[in-house]
Amino acid sequence: MDPAGIFATSFARDAALVRTRPQQIALALFLVFLLLLPVLFGPRLLAISTLILILSVVTLGLQITTGYAGQINLGQAAFMGVGAYTTGFLATKLGLPFWLTIPLGGCSAAVFGFIFGLSAVRIKGFYLALTTIAAQALFHFFVLNLPWFGGSNGLTLDPATLFGFAFVTDTSIYYLCLAVAALMTYGAYGIVRGRFGRAFVAVRDDDVAAGIMGIDIVATKATAFLVGAFYAGVGGGLWAYFVRFVAVDQFTLFNSIWFIAMIIVGGMGAITGALVGVVVIKCIQEGFVSLGPSVVSQFPSIGGDVVFALMNVFLGSVIAAFLIFEPRGLMHRFDILKRSYRMWPFPY
Amino acid sequence: MIDFLNYLINGSLVGLLYALIAMGFIVIYRASKVFNFAQGELVVFGGFIVWWMVIETGLPLVVALPLAMLLSALFGLIIERIFFSRLVGESAFAMVMVTIGLLILIRGLILVMFGPQVRPFPVIFSLKPVIIGDVLIPRSLLVGAVITVVVGLGLSWFFNNTRAGLKMTAVAEDHQVALSMGISVKRSIAFAWALGAVLSTLGAIIYLSGKSLNFLASDIGLAALPVALLAGFESIAGVLLAGLIVGAIQGLVTAYVDPVVGGAVGSVFPFVIMLVILFIRPTGMFGWRTIERV
Repeated sequence: MDPAGIFATSFARDAALVRTRPQQIALALFLVFLLLLPVLFGPRLLAISTLILILSVVTLGLQITTGYAGQINLGQAAFMGVGAYTTGFLATKLGLPFWLTIPLGGCSAAVFGFIFGLSAVRIKGFYLALTTIAAQALFHFFVLNLPWFGGSNGLTLDPATLFGFAFVTDTSIYYLCLAVAALMTYGAYGIVRGRFGRAFVAVRDDDVAAGIMGIDIVATKATAFLVGAFYAGVGGGLWAYFVRFVAVDQFTLFNSIWFIAMIIVGGMGAITGALVGVVVIKCIQEGFVSLGPSVVSQFPSIGGDVVFALMNVFLGSVIAAFLIFEPRGLMHRFDILKRSYRMWPFPY
Repeated sequence: MIDFLNYLINGSLVGLLYALIAMGFIVIYRASKVFNFAQGELVVFGGFIVWWMVIETGLPLVVALPLAMLLSALFGLIIERIFFSRLVGESAFAMVMVTIGLLILIRGLILVMFGPQVRPFPVIFSLKPVIIGDVLIPRSLLVGAVITVVVGLGLSWFFNNTRAGLKMTAVAEDHQVALSMGISVKRSIAFAWALGAVLSTLGAIIYLSGKSLNFLASDIGLAALPVALLAGFESIAGVLLAGLIVGAIQGLVTAYVDPVVGGAVGSVFPFVIMLVILFIRPTGMFGWRTIERV
């Protein structure tokens, strides 16, 4: 809902993502903050920020598959892994530059995800979630047993280079991830408010009704998996260049579950929700990790691993609490707040 | 030939163990329409309760095992009380997502309470194998198989023939309809979780007897999925047959294909079976034909 006095007088205005002057200013300030972040933050916070950007890309994909199209996907980490391994393979064995390997990683992940999304032809709901668990198991098997991926040793990458400039430092890789993440976020906004996004939402809300309205349900579901897996693959490619080491245990079922947790907390069915979820969950995790040692030194009776375990307990309860009390996540709360602010002093 | 028989029988018995774990899935599904992703964590939690009772507090087995069952039933009830009793009437989607939250939560609880170390699990069934002719069978699997069959047939009778069981079946059909028929959805879900937790503990006892235990043992929850799927999520007796089939195939594949390919085909094969089932016949062998197709 727009604030009072804002009227779209042209189609371009009505379709605009950024609708008001304060929003433009806020977005500009946020972008400036992101650009200046390497100057403002120390190396550790910078690394966390880079990680958040990478995970944002992956979570955006999951948001499209699960949040918009309503297909539960427990294989997002596997899709990310396919992207990371493809990127690693193309970069080390064929020596392709990163601006080719990352999109190709995304494409191979998309194909992998599409195959599992195709099972939507026959089944729906939680049975579909089970095929994505199978995707997770098969990914591990293939990576460990096919000869090209270094088996359990993993792959080690050279840094990404562009016109002789190597992305070696934390700052340079941060800007690379920022550029890709910004592009992918813009793309996600484009997808979800376009024809495909509307089809996703229609299928999520009621697939029978959507079918009657002329939406090809199977194609829509498969497309949702395709797009979501592409995002995961691109995130995986970035991950490969960020860590410069790809191993199979970086992409477990447990990681997939974390991605789901992120969109639950952030809010399903909102692009910003995915980003908020990643930031909130990652900050809580890192908060526990960095506060843990000082807590342990204060109370030596609790061991260091207990802090990590407590983090799981806390986050597990947070997820359950969100599902029970606010299933639509933080973004929905924020929208309610914004709406009542704009309405004030009228109740509706 | 004797090798073949060995692999076949041992595989089938392992399959029956999977069937017991799968029964935990099915009981919860059958009485509450919730697919429980945290089943593997329930197994590990049950295992740790048994370990704590027997090794840490040193209770004799006769006391410890029933007490462990009781405690895990209580744990199931607590889960229901805290999470699922608030979600009656909500979509099944929310409930299943809560089980994903539970997965993280229970794993954290296990790490807080028992730590990440590998613990020796008490020897509950003697380690001496049973030898029939030339066939060597681990005793725990054999006893476990008998228990599984008895429990499976008993539960199947309960859900299909008694008034209480049929009430729960109605809940699995549709929460709203069950509520309007005067059936307490809440009580049904509570019972399902208590029973699911007890079955998981039973599974842990048979699976882990004489082995070592840490939080990674929860993988068995996923290994049991293909069995539950092959049976169809509603059939309790069917899961026995499905377990035998999946177990036997897995045993033979592990024995004969793994050395050829040089990899863990056996451990991934159940998932291939699962995919094939999902494509060909999503209801499984004995499931209700209520899956909506699009």
